Amino acid sequence: MSYALKPDRPARTSLLAGVVAGLLAANVQADVTRQVNPDTGLVAWHSSGDTLDFELLQVLPDYVRAVFASRGLPAAVIDKVSSYCVFGTILKNTTDDPLGYRVADWSYQTPDGKRHTIKTKTDWVNEWQDMGLAFRWSMLPDEQTFEVDDWGQGFTTIPLQPGDRFALSYSWTRNGKVETRTIEEVECAPAEAPQID
Amino acid sequence: MHRQRPRKLTRYALGILAGLLLWPGLLPADDSLGHQFTALQAAQMAADFSLQDMDGEVHALEDYRGKVVLVNFWATWCPPCRKEMPALEALYKKLGDKDFVVLAINQWEDPDHVFAYTGELNVFPTFPILFDPDSAVSQLYHVKGLPTSFLVDPQGRLVYRAVGGRAFDHPAVEKLIRELQVRP
Repeated sequence: MSYALKPDRPARTSLLAGVVAGLLAANVQADVTRQVNPDTGLVAWHSSGDTLDFELLQVLPDYVRAVFASRGLPAAVIDKVSSYCVFGTILKNTTDDPLGYRVADWSYQTPDGKRHTIKTKTDWVNEWQDMGLAFRWSMLPDEQTFEVDDWGQGFTTIPLQPGDRFALSYSWTRNGKVETRTIEEVECAPAEAPQID
Repeated sequence: MHRQRPRKLTRYALGILAGLLLWPGLLPADDSLGHQFTALQAAQMAADFSLQDMDGEVHALEDYRGKVVLVNFWATWCPPCRKEMPALEALYKKLGDKDFVVLAINQWEDPDHVFAYTGELNVFPTFPILFDPDSAVSQLYHVKGLPTSFLVDPQGRLVYRAVGGRAFDHPAVEKLIRELQVRP
């Protein structure tokens, strides 16, 4: 058996190196927690431990309708936005360096394996401008640079149905280096508020 | 029609209730709201504006030359804006008679709506709330998201920016304002 040790050694070494690299990578990767709000039954995903803290919150279609209706926006706008799978998105810089993100660099993957780009705030604002509206709020800004203590929030919209699942990949830049994360099994909010026992 | 309207309103009310339950719990906790402002590289003159307050009185930025002005862009639907409002009022109460003013510039909403909203707050804001109905001023200041705040020095220069909610009652914010008041 000893003759087999020599040829095996490089393989073992690289296996060991792989394990160590994996452990190190695991240490720097974010923890994604999935939490159900006991009051609403809605789900939130929180990716912490990164230089960019990232939260994604299910939002009910009725809440989206309420937000846009109370701004006095026309029914066509309210109906269209609320037909999307909408998430509240909160991003926070946890470092002492500037961080930048661009929603145009993000994507989502549906269960059929297809990857899709995400509709940006500019896409929405252009649609609203075509309708003669100057409204430009509520959606997550397309791109931002967050300095120390900066953070932001807004809606992210995915053209999927209530309850549909997908994987969200998002990225940001710090000191010229791009970091990417994926949150698996993100689920669109249900059509109506979940029953709470 | 008579039956539909209350149902629709109920749905909206439920939606708002669900939203209020959903959002605040997931905002950063009070102690995690930062207090740092970022110095703007090349301090330029702050773009002037003239906007009406809740009583229809016009406030121009220029009128406040000689004071440090904290310009805060906000809206009632924005949870962190609501969260930082008491700290903003506390800061204004503390420094408001000392060459310092807060101008809270509301986006897109009408005075009736905002007046009703301020009545719901635990702390009633006494600083001027101004209305930017077509978001023209926020665009002048390149505001991408709400809330965003700026500090304008007594010479009218745009010197600091903060994107996202802040703990305005943090001693470091007061210190920064006092430094700006005496900076040449």
